[in-house]
Amino acid sequence: MSQFFISILIILIGGFLSLVLSQHVKLAKSVAVFSISAGCLWGLIDVVTKLLQSVSGAAAFKFLNVFSLSFQIDGLSAFFLTAIFAICLLATIYSFHYMDHDQSSVKITANYFFYSLLIISMALVVTASNIITFMLSWEIMSLSSFFLVIYNHHSAENRKAGFLYFVFSHVGAMFIFAAFGIIYGYTGSFGFGSMESLPEIAKILVFIFTFIGFGSKAGVFPFHIWLPHAHPAAPSHISAVMSGVMIKTGIYGILRIYMLLDFHTPLFGNIVLVFGAISGVLGVVYALGQHDLKRLLAYHSVENIGIILIGLGIGMIGVSSGNPLMAVLGFSGGILHVLNHSIFKSLLFMGAGMVLHKTGSRSIDALGGLIKSMKITGTTFIIGSLAISGLPPFNGFVGEFLIYIGSFKGVALENWAFAMSIFAIISLAVIGGLALACFTKVVGVVFQGEPRTKAAENVDEKGSTMLTSMIILAGACTIIGIFPSVFIQMSIKAVSSLGLGLSSVPFAPFEQMASNITHSALIFLVVVLFVIAVRSFFYRGKIVTKSGTWGCGFTQPTVKMQYTGSSYASFILDFFKPVAPLEEDHPKITGRFPEKTHYKSHVNDIAELHMGTIIVRPILFLFDKLRWIQHGDIHLYIGYILLAIVLLLFFI
Amino acid sequence: MIESIVFWLLAILTAPFFSAIILKIKAFFGGKKGPPLLINYYTLIKLFKKGSVYSNSTTSVFKLGPIISLCTAITVLMFLPIAGHDPIFSFNGDIIFVLYLMGLGRFFTIAAAMDTASPFEGMGAAREAYFPIICEATTFMILILFFRLTGELQLSAYFSGESTIGLWNSTGAPMLFVVIAFFIILLTENSRVPVDDPATHLELTMIHEVMVLDHSGPDFALIELGSFCKLFFYSTIVSRLILPFDLGVPGLGLFVVGLFIVYIAVGVTESVIARYRMDKVPQFVLTSFALAFFATIITLEFIK
Repeated sequence: MSQFFISILIILIGGFLSLVLSQHVKLAKSVAVFSISAGCLWGLIDVVTKLLQSVSGAAAFKFLNVFSLSFQIDGLSAFFLTAIFAICLLATIYSFHYMDHDQSSVKITANYFFYSLLIISMALVVTASNIITFMLSWEIMSLSSFFLVIYNHHSAENRKAGFLYFVFSHVGAMFIFAAFGIIYGYTGSFGFGSMESLPEIAKILVFIFTFIGFGSKAGVFPFHIWLPHAHPAAPSHISAVMSGVMIKTGIYGILRIYMLLDFHTPLFGNIVLVFGAISGVLGVVYALGQHDLKRLLAYHSVENIGIILIGLGIGMIGVSSGNPLMAVLGFSGGILHVLNHSIFKSLLFMGAGMVLHKTGSRSIDALGGLIKSMKITGTTFIIGSLAISGLPPFNGFVGEFLIYIGSFKGVALENWAFAMSIFAIISLAVIGGLALACFTKVVGVVFQGEPRTKAAENVDEKGSTMLTSMIILAGACTIIGIFPSVFIQMSIKAVSSLGLGLSSVPFAPFEQMASNITHSALIFLVVVLFVIAVRSFFYRGKIVTKSGTWGCGFTQPTVKMQYTGSSYASFILDFFKPVAPLEEDHPKITGRFPEKTHYKSHVNDIAELHMGTIIVRPILFLFDKLRWIQHGDIHLYIGYILLAIVLLLFFI
Repeated sequence: MIESIVFWLLAILTAPFFSAIILKIKAFFGGKKGPPLLINYYTLIKLFKKGSVYSNSTTSVFKLGPIISLCTAITVLMFLPIAGHDPIFSFNGDIIFVLYLMGLGRFFTIAAAMDTASPFEGMGAAREAYFPIICEATTFMILILFFRLTGELQLSAYFSGESTIGLWNSTGAPMLFVVIAFFIILLTENSRVPVDDPATHLELTMIHEVMVLDHSGPDFALIELGSFCKLFFYSTIVSRLILPFDLGVPGLGLFVVGLFIVYIAVGVTESVIARYRMDKVPQFVLTSFALAFFATIITLEFIK
C-alpha cells in the first residue's frame, strides 16, 4: 500500500505546487505536469505488478479521532486503478501543449490543482473500504470535476453545463447516501464487510438505490443527461479523463456493491442488463444525431457504458442461474471493456481536442479534409474509431467478443435467462452496426473530403506532447486487439476478486480464446500485407494520374455540395424517430424569386425532453408551496436548529 | 489442411464464374444472349492491365479501401467450410470474428467513398451504413437458433461434416424460414435487386456501385474480386442449408448444384422484381429478422 500512497502524494504535490507557483505560469505548468505524470507512472507500475501477482494490500487511518479511513487494494481495485493511472498519465502529458493557448495563469494553475485532486479522489474511491472513506472520496471527486467542467466559466453555456452536472452528481450522491443509510441502519457499522447480513428486501433496496446513484455518475440512460453537456464544456484532456475513467467509478460502485451484498437474485442481472441495453442503443442513436464532435463522443460514452452493463448483467445472470462460465465471461468482458473504452475514448477526445485546438470549431459539418494536414491526428482518430466500433483487430472487439460468448452461453438456458440473453445479443449487434455508422460519419465528414469552411483550411498539427499521447493510445488499441492475453488475464483476476464462488476461475479456456483472437488477427494482417504486395505488383510501371472527383457529369462541384453529417445520419435517425424525435427548422422555398433559406436540425433526447415535465416541474411546484419556510429571518433559522436538536434528542 | 487450402483457393478462383451466372439468367429473361460465362475474368484481367486515376480530394484511406474490402472477403472464406469440408481455421466464436471482420471491410469501403468529397458517394455510403444494421440483427438471431440446435458457435460446427443443420433434417421446417431470411441478407449485403440495382444508370439510385465510382484500374479489380468472394460466402451458406449432404465427390457435386440454385435464384429475383423505393427497403430487410425470430421460437418446441 505504501507505494500507492507515495504515488498519490506525488500527484498531490504537483497540484499544490502549481497553485504556489501560479505567478510563473510556465514553471507551474511544467512542474505540475511532471509531478502528476510521475506520480501516475509510479502508481501504474505498482498497480499492474500487484494485479498480475494477485497481491492485495490494506491500510487504515484515524481521521479526527472519530472516523476511521480505511483502504484496500484487491483485484477489482487494482484493475480500475490501472485504467485510472494509465489514462491520467497520458492525459497529463497531453495537457502540456493543449494548455498553451490559454493565457490566464489563474485558470491554468487552478486547473492543475483540481485535476490532481480529481485523480487522487478517483484512486481513493476505488480503494476505499468503508462507507465514510468512500463517500468522502466520492464527494471530492464530484466537486473537483465540477470545477474542471466550468473551466471556461465565461460562457453561459458552460456554466449551465456545470450546474447540470452539479445537480446530477449530488442527486446521485443522495441516492448512494440513502442506500448507505439503510446499510448503517441494519448493521450499525461503517464497514463494508457486514452487508451480507442484511435482509433480502433491504439488499434489493440498497442495490436499486446505488444503481441509480452510481448510474447517474456512469451515465446510464435516463440518468445521463448531464453527460453530453459537461463533456464538451471541459477542456479536452479533462473530457478524456472524465469520459475515459471518471464515469467508470460508477461501474466500479455497482460492481463493488453487488459483490458486497453477495445476493444472487436474477432481478439484479435483469435490471443491469435492460438498462445497459437501452443505454447502449439509445446512446449511439443520439450520438448519430449530434452536430458537435465532443457531444457526439459524450453520447458514445453512454453507449459504451451500456455495453459494459450488458456484460455485467450477463455475468450476474450467469451467477444467479449457476452457470460459472457465463458469469466469468460476462464479468470479464464488461470489466475488460472498461479498460478498452477508457483507452479509445480518451484517444478520441484527444483527437477532438486537437481538432478544436487547431480549427477552433467543434461543429462536425463545418470541418472536412483534416486528415490531409493532420496526418497523425487523423490516423490515430481512425484507429480509435475502429476500436470503438468493436472491429477486429482492435481492442474494442476483444471485450465485446467475451460478452457475446457469455451471452450465447445464456441462450442454452431457459425462460428469463434465455430471453435476456437474446435481448443482450441483439442489442449488441444493433449497437455494433450503429456505432460503425456513427464513426464512418465522423471520420468521413471531419477528416475526409474537402474543407467545408475557412476554419478547416490550412491547419497544421503541432504539439509534440499531444501527438505522443495519441500515438501511445492508438498503439495500445492495436496491441490489446492483437495480443489480448495479458489483458484478459488482468480482467479475470479482477473477476476472481469478486468472490462469487469463482475464486478458482480456470484461465485455460480464456487463454485459448485470447490465442484464437491473436491468430485470426495475425492471419488477417498477413493477408493484408500479401494483397498490398500484389497491388503494388500490378501498379508497377503503370500510369497513375490525378483528376477531380467524378461529379456524374457535373463539372463545377463546390465543397458545399458534399454530403454532410446531418444528411448522412438522417436515414437511420428516421428509423428511430419514436425514441429520437427530430426537430427541424427549414423555411420552404416559395415563389419565383425565393428568399435565402436555411436548415437547422436537432435530435431531442427523450430523457431530457421529459425530465422537465415529469420530474422538475412537480418538484418546483412542491417547493414553491414550501417557500414560506425560507423567510430570511435569522432568529427563526436559529429556532429551526434548536427545534431540530430537541426533536432529535427524543429519537436518539 | 491441404484440402481446405485447395478449396479456399478454388472458392476465390471460381467466385467470378458463379457471378456471371446471374448475368446469364438476367439476359435470358430479357430475351438476350448475354455475356459469356467467363466475362468477369475478362473484366478483371482488363482492369488489372490498366492504370488508375485518383481524385484530388483523396488520401491514402481511399487506396486502403479496396485492399481491406478484398482482404476481409478472402479472410472470411478461410473460416468457411466449403462443400462440407473443414475450413482452414476454426475456433469457438469464429463466426463473431467473421461478422465483425466484414464490418471492418464495410468501414473502409465507406471511408473510401467519403474520401472523394462526392455527394453521390456520400449518399451511397449512408445507405451502406444503414441496411447492414438490420442484417446484423437478423444474422445474430439466426446464430441464436443455430446455437440452440448445436450448442456451438463456429461455422464448422454448422456446415461441415455430418451437418446438423439443414432443410432435410428434423428441424427442417423452421429452417425454411432461415433459408429465406438468409437469402434476404444475401441480397442486401451484396447489393442486389430489390435492395440495390448494380446495373442501373442513375447514380442517385445506387448503393454499392456509386460508392466505388472513383476507383479505377487494379484498385477497382480488387473491389470486384472482393464482392465476388463475398457473394460466394453467402451463397455457400445458403447452398449448404438447402442441400446439407456430405457424400464425398457426389457431395461436392451437390454443393455445386446448390450454388447454381442460389445464383439462379438471385438472377431470377433480379429479373422479376424491380428495386424497392429506398424507404421501403428497411421493411423488406426487417422481414428477414421477423422470419429468423419466428424460426427460433418454433424451434424452442422442437428441441423439447
